[in-house]
Amino acid sequence: MTTGLVTLKINGREVTVREGTLILDAAKEAGFDIPTFCYQANLSGLGSCRMCLVEIEGQRKLQPSCITPVMPDMNVFTETDTVKMTRSAMLEFLLSNHPLDCPVCDKGGECELQDLVYKHGPRKGRFAEDKVRHHDKDYILSPVIVKNANRCVQCMRCVRVCKEVVGRGVLGAVGRGVHQEETSFLRTRLDCDHCGMCIEVCPVGSFMRLPYRYRARPWDLVSARSVCGYCATGCRLTLERRGDTVVRAIANPEDGFNRKLLCARGRFGYDVMNSEERIKTPLVKERDGSFRPVSWDRALELMKEAILRAGPERAAGVASATLTNEELYLFQKFMRKVVGTANMDSTSRWSAESSLKFMEAAGIRGGGTSVYQCAESDVVVVLGGQLSEENPVTDYILRYINGARRNTLVIASPRGMKLDSSAQLSVRTVPATTGAFIAALLKALVEKKEVSMEGMEAVKGLTVEELSGVCGVNADDIRWIAARLLTAGSVGVLAGTDMLRYDDGAEELALLVRLLENTVRDVRVLPLLDRANQRGAWDMGVHPYLEPGYRPAQRRGHDVHGIVELADSGGLGFLYLLGEDVLGLYPDRAGVERALSRVGFLVVQDSFMTGSAPMANLVLPMAMYGEKHGTMTNQEGRVQRMEAVRRPEGEVRTPLETIGRAGNLIEKDFPVVRPGDVWKEIQKQVPGYGEVRGMEAFKGASADQVAELKPSFSYAVPERAEGEFWLLTGNHLFHGARLSQHSGILRELLGGCVVEIGSTAAQRLGVGEGDMVEVEARGYRERLPVRIREGTPDGVAFMPENFDGKDANRFFDKDRVVSTVRIRPYKKQGE
Amino acid sequence: MDEKTRREIEGKILPKYRTRRSACMASMQLVQRQKGYLTKEDMEEIARLLDMEPVEVEAVGKFYTMYNVERPVGRYHIQVCENLSCSLMGGEHILKHIERLLGIKTGQTTGDKRFTLSVVQCLGSCGTAPVIQVNDDYYENLTDKKVEEILERLK
Ligand code: SF4
Ligand code: SF4
Ligand code: SF4
Ligand code: FES
Ligand code: FES
Repeated sequence: MTTGLVTLKINGREVTVREGTLILDAAKEAGFDIPTFCYQANLSGLGSCRMCLVEIEGQRKLQPSCITPVMPDMNVFTETDTVKMTRSAMLEFLLSNHPLDCPVCDKGGECELQDLVYKHGPRKGRFAEDKVRHHDKDYILSPVIVKNANRCVQCMRCVRVCKEVVGRGVLGAVGRGVHQEETSFLRTRLDCDHCGMCIEVCPVGSFMRLPYRYRARPWDLVSARSVCGYCATGCRLTLERRGDTVVRAIANPEDGFNRKLLCARGRFGYDVMNSEERIKTPLVKERDGSFRPVSWDRALELMKEAILRAGPERAAGVASATLTNEELYLFQKFMRKVVGTANMDSTSRWSAESSLKFMEAAGIRGGGTSVYQCAESDVVVVLGGQLSEENPVTDYILRYINGARRNTLVIASPRGMKLDSSAQLSVRTVPATTGAFIAALLKALVEKKEVSMEGMEAVKGLTVEELSGVCGVNADDIRWIAARLLTAGSVGVLAGTDMLRYDDGAEELALLVRLLENTVRDVRVLPLLDRANQRGAWDMGVHPYLEPGYRPAQRRGHDVHGIVELADSGGLGFLYLLGEDVLGLYPDRAGVERALSRVGFLVVQDSFMTGSAPMANLVLPMAMYGEKHGTMTNQEGRVQRMEAVRRPEGEVRTPLETIGRAGNLIEKDFPVVRPGDVWKEIQKQVPGYGEVRGMEAFKGASADQVAELKPSFSYAVPERAEGEFWLLTGNHLFHGARLSQHSGILRELLGGCVVEIGSTAAQRLGVGEGDMVEVEARGYRERLPVRIREGTPDGVAFMPENFDGKDANRFFDKDRVVSTVRIRPYKKQGE
Repeated sequence: MDEKTRREIEGKILPKYRTRRSACMASMQLVQRQKGYLTKEDMEEIARLLDMEPVEVEAVGKFYTMYNVERPVGRYHIQVCENLSCSLMGGEHILKHIERLLGIKTGQTTGDKRFTLSVVQCLGSCGTAPVIQVNDDYYENLTDKKVEEILERLK
């Protein structure tokens, strides 16, 4: 990378910028705004629209500033008469056939063409001819995209963003000259990420949102800055409502770290807020099993009685890792101080031990690691999971950075993913063998370079070949990766949720990081988390072994496994499920169902009737993102503030108010609080949060150590009978956690639950995309359509964990490392 | 696309290029030779073979007039140049004349599926304008009489 500096003059003002900077950016730095159309930050340069032409002393022709890098002593002019005349002329050309149907165009009021014509354009057109109207209608390209081709200014931003950032490349510039149209293959419906990036970057009203169509004008909208609740990439977005209906979520290029990037869930999942299916009042279960609405006073009274009846030893709570820091902090305080128990968790899916190890290895308790810094490392290693679907925008960031910098990207995970196509090397590990894979890397590293480090002696006895036999990755590939790691100046490691789920590889990862810190030095570890505020939940101490700020709990409680066991033995009098659907997610459906039915008094507070809710004695409505203020901490450790775009409707309340009032009812000095009060307390009580200010800031480091990590270096391939599939689960591209299934738009993108297998397996079974198969294990059967995922090996299947009624956890056996299922083609009778 | 064409793309065309997608134009030409035009399935198949997206193949096909994307053409595809030199030398008149002789308008195909008439841009043979191209052959320095003879021969 070049690091030299270049000094030049722009409109007489001297600026010094990094070598390679574009004139456009240098001008911005000097305080001069140059108009653009085809330029888009982070996309390859095109230089086709000529809006950004500038004069450079000594050059006869004007030059496009968006693709011309600065040179020493350049003398650039951006506001001369020639430049101004040219700008106006370019706009005149664009307008020659532009329909100018602004009054019916969704983009009106926030259109770059409108803005630029207003600022630089001709006041009068000289084209006397009739306009050519190339298309009589708009084309619907997907459930979320509608395209008006007449308004296109042919900047190709849509085509480039789809290919270079999203990695789909399903848009093309079809036809030529004035007939050119940016569209899908033969204008057919898109089978794509439905991320709407093409819409977001379109400067005019050409690519538009179908669900937002003719719904509002930008100046009618009330907006609030928020944070996406669907994964821990934690994208900033702005929610906008007209009246009480939320009609749009847009990225926040001015101040969000994700700039214009959002995935389908973030951009289109906002409509859960408007859903008719939401729980609207507190409900209490009658003797006959039906629910009857009750007042909040009565509901909280019932909750209080149940808590007092149960007593601290027989009470527990699980809060969702998608709630705000304020809510999570208050939740654990309520559980610890009022209920008097440490029986609590922020997940239904893994053990407290596993999370401790992961926190330690992935540097969770430390300060933040920027995703950009991690992605810009010389070598970037993605471990486990399915990043492209679990954390889509993290995938976009990795892709475009890799495309621009050509650094080395390595992926090691059990399933194929879209990012594979950007990777220099993508290897498939056997599920739950990340530990063995990292151990193999460690061994390959010490083969190449003598390292004397504590913990490394044990590696001596291993062989790369042996470990390769366990994790399924070719020994040569392992050695290739090790060689890259040793010559790198910086290494980024992204550690996926699989490591938590299977309690797999944390010890080895910690060792690898330590070793690299001794050799490469610059090592950045980024956890990849699937719940929006998982990191915040841990920071806030919603953990049976850890209090806020990773302080070891004075008395340990039960984690979710312990809570389920306690309930099953009839030992649980009170259980509070706050936004967490334990029944739908706990890796043993039958077991958890029995356990929940034995809880003395089950309180479920949620936005929708989850799987668990019908089992509850008391159901409380819950406000969701967009209806509350607070902060969230994403996987990078970035603490971001979110505002409410509207009040919760009717009897819907925030968890903060619920907990405050319930607490106050039991303990007079437990205050009913507002988010701001809790935030102040967090700043005082939680190490790492004291210095956090503003809309967005990285948290600082917290405790010293939460777990002692010593790899055992003994590995085995998880059991699987011939012909069976290991069943993996996680978020779907269009669904995060259990909430998004209530988004009408997201539901339309993916008809329903699917089972995903690789193409070799599909061939073996004789099924194609969309064909029905029967998944079977543990006495359960489910018929599902197949989705084929390139790059997933035979023997590995995936079912999203997001669907009520199609719960993947029925197939899980919590005593097995990775559960297996049988899959066979399903033929209708008579076929 | 038949098996033979597929093999030819893989065996003969692809080895000539360093990147697979570079073989796009040559492959399209080969496939088009079969029935005179490219179908949706052809483009999808080419995309699969060359690691491209179908829309990219379509974009190439619709950029160049020499590809007939989803547009069946007759046995003889007559392409009349309407660019500057040819126009000056009477190209438009030639076009009208052919329309009259075949009884079809530009863009149409004769009922017997023998001829399709199209206009194209500069064929790169301005020195011998007016020019038409029929399938792979050029006919130059055209006059009404020459056109009549050519059509007669092809009928
Ligand atoms: S929605 Fe996303 S993936 Fe689909 S065409 Fe647009 S940019 Fe590409
Ligand atoms: S559709 Fe929009 S983004 Fe795409 S080329 Fe046209 S104006 Fe640009
Ligand atoms: S789901 Fe994740 S990646 Fe997608 S917009 Fe939300 S936070 Fe970003
Ligand atoms: S913005 Fe520079 S040419 Fe389009
Ligand atoms: S203009 Fe007809 S061949 Fe050039």
